[in-house]
Amino acid sequence: MKTAVLAFRNLNRQKKRSFLLGGAIAFGIFIITMINGFTGSFVENVSENFSHLLAGHIFIDGVEKSESGKNISIIRDDTLLLEAVGQLNFPVRYLTKRSTFSGTLIFEGDSLMQNVSGVLWEEEEYLKERLLLVEGDFASMKNPKGIILSENTASRLNITIGDTLLVQLKTATGQQNVGDFVLAAIIQDPGFFGSLSAYANMEYVNQLLNISPKEYMTLGIFLDDLKYMNPASIMLYQLLTNKVNLFERSYQQEDTNIFQAMTDQAKEEKWEGVRYRLYTLNDMLGQVEQIVRALNIVGLVILVILFLIIMVGITNTFRMIMFERIREIGTMRSLGLHRKGVRRLFIIESLFLSLGGVLSGLLVSGILMLILSKISIGVESPLFLLLNNGHFTFKISPVQIIGNIAIVAVLTILAVLVPANKASKLEPADALRFRN
Amino acid sequence: MKKQTYFYSLMILFFLFSSAVLFGEPDFKKMLSEIDSLGSFRENDFSCIYTIVSEKPDEDTSVTQVKMFRRDKTDQFVLLILQPEVQKGQGYLQLEDNIWFYDPESRKFSHSSLRENIQGSDAKNSDLKEPSLAEDYSVDTWSEGTLGKYQVYILDLTALNDETSYPKMKIWIRKDINIVLKVENYGLSGRLMRTVYYPNYIKIGGKMLPSRILLKDELKIGEKTQLTMKDVSIADIPDYVFTKSYLEKVNR
Repeated sequence: MKTAVLAFRNLNRQKKRSFLLGGAIAFGIFIITMINGFTGSFVENVSENFSHLLAGHIFIDGVEKSESGKNISIIRDDTLLLEAVGQLNFPVRYLTKRSTFSGTLIFEGDSLMQNVSGVLWEEEEYLKERLLLVEGDFASMKNPKGIILSENTASRLNITIGDTLLVQLKTATGQQNVGDFVLAAIIQDPGFFGSLSAYANMEYVNQLLNISPKEYMTLGIFLDDLKYMNPASIMLYQLLTNKVNLFERSYQQEDTNIFQAMTDQAKEEKWEGVRYRLYTLNDMLGQVEQIVRALNIVGLVILVILFLIIMVGITNTFRMIMFERIREIGTMRSLGLHRKGVRRLFIIESLFLSLGGVLSGLLVSGILMLILSKISIGVESPLFLLLNNGHFTFKISPVQIIGNIAIVAVLTILAVLVPANKASKLEPADALRFRN
Repeated sequence: MKKQTYFYSLMILFFLFSSAVLFGEPDFKKMLSEIDSLGSFRENDFSCIYTIVSEKPDEDTSVTQVKMFRRDKTDQFVLLILQPEVQKGQGYLQLEDNIWFYDPESRKFSHSSLRENIQGSDAKNSDLKEPSLAEDYSVDTWSEGTLGKYQVYILDLTALNDETSYPKMKIWIRKDINIVLKVENYGLSGRLMRTVYYPNYIKIGGKMLPSRILLKDELKIGEKTQLTMKDVSIADIPDYVFTKSYLEKVNR
């Protein structure tokens, strides 16, 4: 206890030096905590935003082989799929049925590529709540040829409400087709994923795709919480195994693009009738998790490099401290303090320093996280996918914090060990005779 | 009154039938087969270089050059992009039923389609392949007319399956020789999407091939593409050209 008090007093004697050294440690901890906090909520936010953009957490696609062996994306009869979803032991908020195509929108000489989703508006009230209208209204979607575009798309096409635009697309079997839409409403631009956000009536989209009104392409299952996604998908896959023909869920490791891997899988295999493919947001966002892992590793490397530099500073400072206190150490040794006591004094002093730095770093990063999370970046920001309703969120696990503190403590002790040992080996008589 | 209408209808039908027999309606199926035959190389391999000039309003004219290798008897083809420099080395390969696209940047193959447009132009991979009009289309209606200085048959074609690029076509065929001068491509909804002109042909190995093709986009006003053929050859092409490894190695 006395050693601790002495160590604390020593730190207080050189306030400026302790402040600078502790500040360096605090800076390191601040950086790593911010990175960990950001990456901690990264996957969750991206998944949550994607679940709204893609209308589900779990998805089922139907794939049929044409006579010539080409793959046609279609769900002809969803009775068995809905039966299996009904047997899930996880809360399902709603189901979405979508027919989607990627085509070229053309209006008076301007054109752009756009994904268009066919939606059953009377069944998808939630979508109306999610879409933020800038112009027009949902009532105009009663026009079978109505379409809702994002602000950016509408502005690039230079189109206004009520205008008729052309769409060039391929049918489900790959034939060329042309249709026309009437712009019913414009929604707030969801950042760089604006090209995913055009909505039309499913019946007309099906007509353009040359599939029947009851058929569609993807069944989306929106769960009550993201945490149910993996267990629910495993259960649903098992339930479906006995009911329908299913694709294997494992894809080749070398394929970084899940959609390419799924296309390749469907190309290579042969079957009769409709075969179903079950996948989740996690399957699609595998690369996001890789980014998070990479960011965390980069953060850890930064922490280690930063602390290696700080270690040099600590070692030099404590060598200086040792020289400054040689006569003091000699006095303490003469009064009966053991070598171990001197070493302990130095180590406790450094631990106090690192603790102070760590606490300050955590405090500053906590305050900054709080401030950043209060600022509304807006849903139209290019950062939209990383945000939660336009706000930054941070999530850091206690294990990560404890791990970072442990790394700092170990590195600080290692840094101070050499001067501490040197100080402890001083002979009391030599130390007392020492003159600067 | 009803009996009279019935009688006149029968008379018109009889007249149409007898005039078709008397004046000899051309055998269009055979005509389409001959057009296909003139454009296909079953005995030889075929290779050439296409220069594709694509014009879009408010954009610079883009020039793409592709080397094409065709082996029609085994339904194989390779399309190798020579220009522009940034896309040099990219290529398409048909292996059995699969069309592969190779990107030298990622060094990966991905599935593609004959219906894909070449480098954002109005030309599709299928435009450069062996024609198969007789197999893919039936003649709905026909008429006679003139196109420029040529007497032509004008045929309305409907696809026999739902996997051809265009479900409906209108083609202008020269009467004196079975070559196509003009094609209108229609979408499933019946809307005109593209008009193709074949103003020049060359003769090689007893076959007739369009040496210049003009494509006009009917939806995007002002967009047009011109394909010009050069370095035409019917010399044998080594087997290794029709492999993935050729595309991988050709530009290393």
